[in-house]
Amino acid sequence: MKFADFVSREAIRAELVAKDKEGVIRELVQAWLDTGSIEADEQESIIKAILKREELGSTGIGRGVAVPHTKHPSVDRLVGTVAISSDGVDFNSLDGEKVQLLFLLISPPDRPGDHLRALENISRQLRDDTFCRFLKQAKSVEDIQQLLDEADNNQFVS
Amino acid sequence: MDEVKATRTVTVTNSAGFHLRAATLFMNLARRFDSHVEVIKDSQRADGKSTPLQLTALGAWEGDQLVLEATGADAEQALDALVELFVTNFEEEEEPEQQQVGQSRPEEDTADS
Repeated sequence: MKFADFVSREAIRAELVAKDKEGVIRELVQAWLDTGSIEADEQESIIKAILKREELGSTGIGRGVAVPHTKHPSVDRLVGTVAISSDGVDFNSLDGEKVQLLFLLISPPDRPGDHLRALENISRQLRDDTFCRFLKQAKSVEDIQQLLDEADNNQFVS
Repeated sequence: MDEVKATRTVTVTNSAGFHLRAATLFMNLARRFDSHVEVIKDSQRADGKSTPLQLTALGAWEGDQLVLEATGADAEQALDALVELFVTNFEEEEEPEQQQVGQSRPEEDTADS
């Protein structure tokens, strides 16, 4: 699975405003809402589900990266976005470091495989330090989109 | 110190595969031991103690076999503990409010295009 299969350009955020974990998660879901792909009345339910998953253990997996996610019946395919917080957000990460790079994933409950495929793709790409660093330093949606496209074209993973 | 090298083969049996939380549980447990731990799937090797990203990058699905390899004085103990995670399906529980109805989960489409 490629980034282009689940990351919508309209939902990418190059500079998150929120400074705390819940605020950032709300902002990410709002970014998706703004694309018109999710009904507004589902917003709170999605946010609640993501926060509940975080209670099981932070998705801040180290190296300044977090992958907040949930299954949710309001989507009929896996959707996701990428966002940057240049100051970093305290995400109770495994390594205690602040998170600068966030991938939000919302998947339909009956398609767990898609979630795993997206996670596999994100993980593989982020093993490349250059990709990870460039993405954290990206200043615009265009920069982010270009890096994702390059990753999709296997320009980072050897 | 004796340098012990131990290996075990495990099968991923939880329907959601070796996902992020499973990988995190694995890493946290592996870190309690001194031994170096690696997870091998086919020709891919992942450090079991660095970040869960290494493990989720393996893309291990239900039914896949993984080789766990530990090197160090407590290698056997480390693998005993880590194998248990797979045996217990990573203490997997469906989230109550999103629980799927019935016993048969929707088919996984294995044809990855």
